[in-house]
Amino acid sequence: MRKTNIRLRFIIFLGLVLVLAGVAAFAPALVPFDPYEQNLQEALRAPGGTHLLGTDRYGRDMLSRVIVGGRTTIFSTLALVGVSVIIGMVIGILCGYYGGKMDSIVMRISDVCLAFPGMVFAIAAASVLGGGIISAVSALAFISWPKYARLARGEVLSIKNRTFMEAARLGGCGTWKLITGHILPNISGTILVTATLDIGTMMMELAGLSFLGLGAMPPAAEWGSMMSDGRSMLQTSPWVILAPGTAIFITVACFNLLGDTIRDLLDPKRQDVKA
Amino acid sequence: MLAERKGGRPLRGRSRILAAVLSTVLSISMLYGCGSGKDGGSASSNTGEKVFNYGTTAYGVAMENVGLDPHDTYSGWSTLRYGVGETLFKFNEKMELEPWLATDYEQVDEYTLKIHLRDDVNFTSGNKMTGEAVKACLEDLITRHDRAPEDLKIESITAEGQSVIIKSKEKVPALIHYLCDPYGAIIDMEAGVSEDKNVSGTGPYIAENVTDTEINLVANKNYWGGTPKVDRVNVKSITDGDTLTMAMQNGEIDAAQGLPYVSLKLFQNNESFSISSCDTSRVYQAAINFKTPVLQDEKVREAIAMGIDKEGFTTVLLDGNGTAATGPFPANFTFGKDAVSAPAYDPQGARELLSQAGWKDTDGDGYVDKDGKPLEIRWLTYTSRQELPLLAESVQATLKAIGIKVIVNATDNYNEYLKKGEFDIYAKAIVTAPTGDPQYYFTTHLLDSSSYNSGNYHSDKVEELTEQLRNEYDMEKRSQLAIQIEQQILDDHAFIYASHLKMSFVMKKGIGGFEAHPSDYYEITADLDIIQ
Amino acid sequence: MRRYVGKRLLQLIPILIGITLLSFGLMHLASMDAVDVRYEKQGTVVSEEVKAQIREELNLDKPFLVQYGLWLKGVVTGDMGVSYISGKPVFETFITKLPATIALTLTSILLTIVVSIPLGILAAVKQNRPLDYLIRFGSFIGNSLPNFFVSLLLIYFLALKLGVFPVISGGGWNSIVLPTLTLSIAMSAKYIRQVRATVLEELSKDYVTGARSRGVRERVILYKNVLRSSLFTIVTLLALSIGSLLGGTAIVESIFMWDGVGKMAVDAITMRDYPIIQTYVIWMAVIYVLVNLITDIVYCFLDPRIRLEQGEGI
Repeated sequence: MRKTNIRLRFIIFLGLVLVLAGVAAFAPALVPFDPYEQNLQEALRAPGGTHLLGTDRYGRDMLSRVIVGGRTTIFSTLALVGVSVIIGMVIGILCGYYGGKMDSIVMRISDVCLAFPGMVFAIAAASVLGGGIISAVSALAFISWPKYARLARGEVLSIKNRTFMEAARLGGCGTWKLITGHILPNISGTILVTATLDIGTMMMELAGLSFLGLGAMPPAAEWGSMMSDGRSMLQTSPWVILAPGTAIFITVACFNLLGDTIRDLLDPKRQDVKA
Repeated sequence: MLAERKGGRPLRGRSRILAAVLSTVLSISMLYGCGSGKDGGSASSNTGEKVFNYGTTAYGVAMENVGLDPHDTYSGWSTLRYGVGETLFKFNEKMELEPWLATDYEQVDEYTLKIHLRDDVNFTSGNKMTGEAVKACLEDLITRHDRAPEDLKIESITAEGQSVIIKSKEKVPALIHYLCDPYGAIIDMEAGVSEDKNVSGTGPYIAENVTDTEINLVANKNYWGGTPKVDRVNVKSITDGDTLTMAMQNGEIDAAQGLPYVSLKLFQNNESFSISSCDTSRVYQAAINFKTPVLQDEKVREAIAMGIDKEGFTTVLLDGNGTAATGPFPANFTFGKDAVSAPAYDPQGARELLSQAGWKDTDGDGYVDKDGKPLEIRWLTYTSRQELPLLAESVQATLKAIGIKVIVNATDNYNEYLKKGEFDIYAKAIVTAPTGDPQYYFTTHLLDSSSYNSGNYHSDKVEELTEQLRNEYDMEKRSQLAIQIEQQILDDHAFIYASHLKMSFVMKKGIGGFEAHPSDYYEITADLDIIQ
Repeated sequence: MRRYVGKRLLQLIPILIGITLLSFGLMHLASMDAVDVRYEKQGTVVSEEVKAQIREELNLDKPFLVQYGLWLKGVVTGDMGVSYISGKPVFETFITKLPATIALTLTSILLTIVVSIPLGILAAVKQNRPLDYLIRFGSFIGNSLPNFFVSLLLIYFLALKLGVFPVISGGGWNSIVLPTLTLSIAMSAKYIRQVRATVLEELSKDYVTGARSRGVRERVILYKNVLRSSLFTIVTLLALSIGSLLGGTAIVESIFMWDGVGKMAVDAITMRDYPIIQTYVIWMAVIYVLVNLITDIVYCFLDPRIRLEQGEGI
């Protein structure tokens, strides 16, 4: 009974996330107006009428910009989390599996990255990569991968000497086979849950960099930078900041709910708890 | 790094944690309770003293003007703005010279200038401002300051009672103008510069406390220009525009400088506030890259100039907080906006010019093309000035309307692109006449030898006229030469001047004598008053 | 114990060298140096000769490694250098900004603990009931609002509309309230979820089932066993947050005019003020190592069965 309940929740939230991703993917086809088309006569119109969510100070349609902005925001956040998880997982698994000197050197390096202020990296990255969302993403990836590396390493250490691993090894499994066939499936659940739950935080980090002028560059529509651009208009034209703000809220909530559900799904024991 | 956890053992009780938490909260709040006392309030305090709290985005580490030592990079701006120091001459609202600490000057010959000083001025240290004191100050200026020696080209300074004689190494017709730069604020070198970068000036206010974020000033009761009307002035650096807006709305400050454009609406037509604003010589300009083959065609350059909607940009995007520009200098200059002419916004005419030059939209994609190539312009700019990205986006939209595709590259790494020449138009903000004189802008931006001639503009006529300007001491004739040079660059369509920055002070009703000045140098003066 | 601490502190050295070299290198990748930035910001221009002269004074004309060597030599002899911008000794500047950051760290951590632990437990106990949903909904909001927006809303409602707190910190005790709230909202949102998850996990463990079957009261189980075991997660989280808060929060500090190290760092980075950036980076490394060390020691006190040496390695 409970199990089906979780399954249902999983399907619903996965569906919601897919809808968001779909909207982002097909954004250009869905927008009612050209999100970059300026019309100064129509600047800062309140929501309603032809412009459902109003217009910004260039007279651009907010709804269209929010839709297109979703593409930048969702995909760059996913890219950020994806890159950090992949790099972190590869390094973490190798360190956990092989251990030794290599392991301690890599862990020292990860210390440096963890302790390193992301801002310094963001500015340097902006300088080398020419600014924009890509440098913001790489700066955050630089300080985020160690978290996943440690997680993966810890998980590998905890299963490394389990009997099924021994059995596989004795059964003639090569290193590659061991890692892909036995280690990965066993640790990916935890990492997937952590990664899904981190999406909201990462989106906020990107928005923060936009506030400091290190995120997406104009005229690119991106929720964080749209909020930061419009922040002075909170009193005069609040829709300019509320539209992207609500979009971020909905997205973060969807990903968080999905993360929670995946965790419940992977760990059925927890569901036995009676309140 | 983190140790492994191993199961649990009962805790002795929650009351202990609670007690610990509570006591920490208490001790923290007490700590802060004791720290209070300075009044964050406004206008007049209970002692009957008049106190003026001023919030500004223009003071702070990031503006390089922290402290009051005029001989240190841009700190002189703070010395002058907050009424601590004064220069020998000053500018009026038309940016014409007026005496200040000096009474007048004589141009003895082309290399020698004699300046007569007021006889009734004392530094706040108590020492008298004499020729010797001014000499000592200027000598320190040219030894320590980064830009001054290059501007002034001083050979020697001699003091004679209440006058100083300055001999120059080269002809410097604008020497008096340069001395009005904030670095020229006269301070008492005998009193020196304190550890916290405080100085002893001649102004209506004395700094009591100088930090990176705040300057606390008291009235100079012995001020030579009459007793200041306000007893205390607190200058607070508030770098976030929205914080500044709300602090102003909340009455925590009496006046604000540097509010975001969109916030100014909140104070306009509001009877509790008044606004003083004026155009400055900070201009948003776009330089054409003459190395770009398509832009070597004058018709294309003219079409671009005609395709940019300066009025729309200033009225809508800047919310009226800027004035559409014609040339590099604003209208309040004698050689300013009204003395020159540039093509007006005319999309129809621009399209015609383009088609005359052979650019037509043959493939129907909305952009004009020629020999199968679309007309694309790489617009290079940066983001640290909030207006520049706005301008880029506005240009992108209006040029699209005439069929030119603009690719905006707004990066703080623009230097790289400039060096490599990877741009077609470079838009930037620049103060064209910081000292009210036109020569500076021309020599730095228009000549073959100019280090900021990023577009490689060359004009024999401009070279020649600038050479004449270098040797011309007559103010009237200098203005005439400036107008000719400006008109030449506009006729060549080498630069497009989009708008002048309008500076605004917002203040509570009842604040008097607090006016925005086109030079951006003078803010707190002896006239400042709180009338209630 | 002492040997262990000493060993851990020794780890600081490679981290410090790595991190300072990295930041030095990264800042040198940036195409503009302190001299370029200085004149660009003001919109005034100077000749290349003037720039070259200043570069020489600041040693900016030297090769990268020489600059780093000079800086390192200074640090070893106790001289952190002077700021390129203000000309003041950077160590002094840094020390004057530190108390503000530490105060804000303490208040926001305390508020976060006070808010998130009870709410997290409550949500776990009332799992999938309306109260749980309400708390989680609240935490989603807190989790999805950028810091700068939370600050704006707080200033707008609490300072402007209700007038209970000042917008700018005038030095009074109440000026710390809004920045604390801003930081705590985001952190609490995160903590509530974590505390809830940890408590749920504990509640599903065998010893809880055992205790229940022995008829131990739910409340007792919760406070005596579950909370106690959840402390590990909470301490870990706190350690991470304290670490990042001590690094200063550039956005909140600049919005509330809270004169701390975060704002100092952002200013220094935008101005390419290397000596200040380096000092800041050292501070980040030191807090990182210390916070981790203290966390491990706290673990040891929470559960003496943990031997400190185990924690080493990662």
